[in-house]
Amino acid sequence: MYTAWVLKHKPESLKEVIGNGEAIKKFLGWVKVWRNGIPKKRAAFIYGPPGVGKTIAVEALANDLHMELVEKNASDYRTQKTVKRFAGLASQYGSLFGGKRIILLDELDGLTGSADRGGVKATIEIVKTTRCPVVLVANNAYDPRFSTLRRYCLLIKFERLRASQVMTHLKRICSRESIQYDEDALKFIAQRSEGDIRSAVNDLQALAQGKKRLIYKDVSWLGYRDRQEQIFTVLKMVIYGKTCVSAKKVVDMADVDIDMLFEWIYENAPAHLTHPHDLAAAMNALSMADVYRGRIRSTQNWSFLRYVIDYMTAGVAMARVNTESHEWIPFKFPNRIRMLSKSKAERAMKLRIGHKVKRKCHISAVRASKEFLPYFGTIFRNNVNMAAGLAKWLDLDPEMVEYLAGSEKKGKAITELLS
Amino acid sequence: MFPLSFEMWAEKYRPKMLDGMVNQKEIVERLKSFVKSRNVPHCIFAGPPGTGKTTAALCLARDLYGSAYREHVMELNASDARGINVVRETVKTFARIRSIGEIPFKIMILDEADNMTSDAQQALRRTMERYTGTCRFILIANYSGKIIEPIQSRCAPFRFTYLPREEQDQHLMLIAEKERLRLLDEGLDAIFEVCGGDLRRAINTLQATASLNKPVDAKIVYSIAGRANPADIKKMIETAVNGNFLDARKQLRNMIQKYGVAGSDLIRQIHTEIFRANLPEQSKMRLVDIIGEIDYRLVEGADEEVQLSALLARLVEIGFELGNMK
Repeated sequence: MYTAWVLKHKPESLKEVIGNGEAIKKFLGWVKVWRNGIPKKRAAFIYGPPGVGKTIAVEALANDLHMELVEKNASDYRTQKTVKRFAGLASQYGSLFGGKRIILLDELDGLTGSADRGGVKATIEIVKTTRCPVVLVANNAYDPRFSTLRRYCLLIKFERLRASQVMTHLKRICSRESIQYDEDALKFIAQRSEGDIRSAVNDLQALAQGKKRLIYKDVSWLGYRDRQEQIFTVLKMVIYGKTCVSAKKVVDMADVDIDMLFEWIYENAPAHLTHPHDLAAAMNALSMADVYRGRIRSTQNWSFLRYVIDYMTAGVAMARVNTESHEWIPFKFPNRIRMLSKSKAERAMKLRIGHKVKRKCHISAVRASKEFLPYFGTIFRNNVNMAAGLAKWLDLDPEMVEYLAGSEKKGKAITELLS
Repeated sequence: MFPLSFEMWAEKYRPKMLDGMVNQKEIVERLKSFVKSRNVPHCIFAGPPGTGKTTAALCLARDLYGSAYREHVMELNASDARGINVVRETVKTFARIRSIGEIPFKIMILDEADNMTSDAQQALRRTMERYTGTCRFILIANYSGKIIEPIQSRCAPFRFTYLPREEQDQHLMLIAEKERLRLLDEGLDAIFEVCGGDLRRAINTLQATASLNKPVDAKIVYSIAGRANPADIKKMIETAVNGNFLDARKQLRNMIQKYGVAGSDLIRQIHTEIFRANLPEQSKMRLVDIIGEIDYRLVEGADEEVQLSALLARLVEIGFELGNMK
């Protein structure tokens, strides 16, 4: 019988959960407070990238403390009514058998758009009134949709795991499955997972199940499979396209959305269209594609999308006039996407500070976050007194102060002056 | 030791009355005549950032209604709330209720109005028309061209321009004196170089430099202004002209992502540097042509880096052509 190793080798106890020790400690402490009555924050909001053990930590904790776990995924509770029915029942009364109960609302990011309107609102209601601990889990707690919800929650951040931590878990599985391994092979899987332990275990199972020994050669091809390969084919068709139609076709083929495809093309086209005339033409086409993206945004006229597509695919393909054939240059992962996902939480923080500035300085939060923040950075890093004064004037919370000061220590020094 | 609760100087030194406004003299005179006649038309205040648009609107309101002006004025920022629903609900609710007091209308200040979607602007147009009796609108925008024609034609236009160098200097020196800050001449030069005539930015820069407790010189200004050092810009231009696009783009990325330099600032600095660069005079004008076009696309487009790297690619092209001529 096929059992997913992710489930089979799931940690049963917090002791077995790998990584995020501090976060787990914070979480455990909060749950224990419930023994002495209802704490001020009735919900914990656990957030962090996929596959770092957020849900598993909650399950393991319930196990350790012998609590009954009532669990729902966002996909199960799409409307206000259904959330209320489920959570109302679960939170207002104790368990039938007198045991302690903990409620887990998982995959909160899944509540999207108008289809789930009310879902977040209902969640807030639950959090405000619950009589047993509620745990919310999502990838990004700083999504603007959660701005109100956040206020009622203890925020707990789970970080990406280090490759060495992922390795520890992979080794444990290998020994349980009696598989011998090359260190290099496990290391490769661990590094490729970028801290996502779930995907690492899935990869391990795909490569090692049924084998006695896992060697480096078994895993090295992993880097080139699936999506990567697909996007490479698509890129080739754009950057080396002979006709407009063939270049445009890729939009339907690609397994990524248009913005993502744009990033791939923008990253890679210059290295493949090296003749200065071609380069200028290709970059001009991308610039025009971007102009049309802007026009779509300001007019909300989505039919302009066809010009975005024309410019970014055919426009780039037709730029090739003078470039001579050269050695194959490997395609690269778009640098900006890496930066973008890293800075998502940061942008949310900047915007929150922007809102504080807006209240005082007659300027939009968006613009304030761009225009004022660099100056705040200088002030908060260099002048504790001035920073404290500003923090008071703007009513910044300690988290914001710490962000602006750039370190916990400096943040504390400023906050202390305030109290 | 600074007193606790320490304001941003840009707020602290914001004029409260029209009389206190030192620049944009002609505009201020016209606004004063509105106060005198107790009547204000719908207005558009257009112009670059930091030239006193919001200040003028707030001063006008204060002069008109006195200290209780907040009861009669609503400030809404279109960048934060730019959808049609805001116009339908917030704006309409405010506009249609008559104000109590000597002056029969209220004032709605719509800041950064050029960021409103065109649907929202259409809705606004009807609201403006219907409730003219009870509410006057002051639309504030960087680009009046982004306000739809029908609204423009209903408004008295006011064009704000960058502060002349002497006026900005006077202002900064006054603040420096009051805050007991040593502001060197080269510091003033540098502030003007990085901020142009944007007074808000200039004052913010000054305040940030003050946090270092040192006399303000050029080096400090560049290092904290969130601007690229002119030397970095120069290096990026040279890298591109010498044909290394990928490297130039990397430098651009660094400036945007790491140092948070805004695209509009970069392009202004590039524009300045081009004239200092060691290039044939004819190609400089060709470059101005390109820079202007890209600047325009920056306004329209969605992504600063994409636009600016298109500019870098053109620099590569021009560098290549020059190499061929030699």
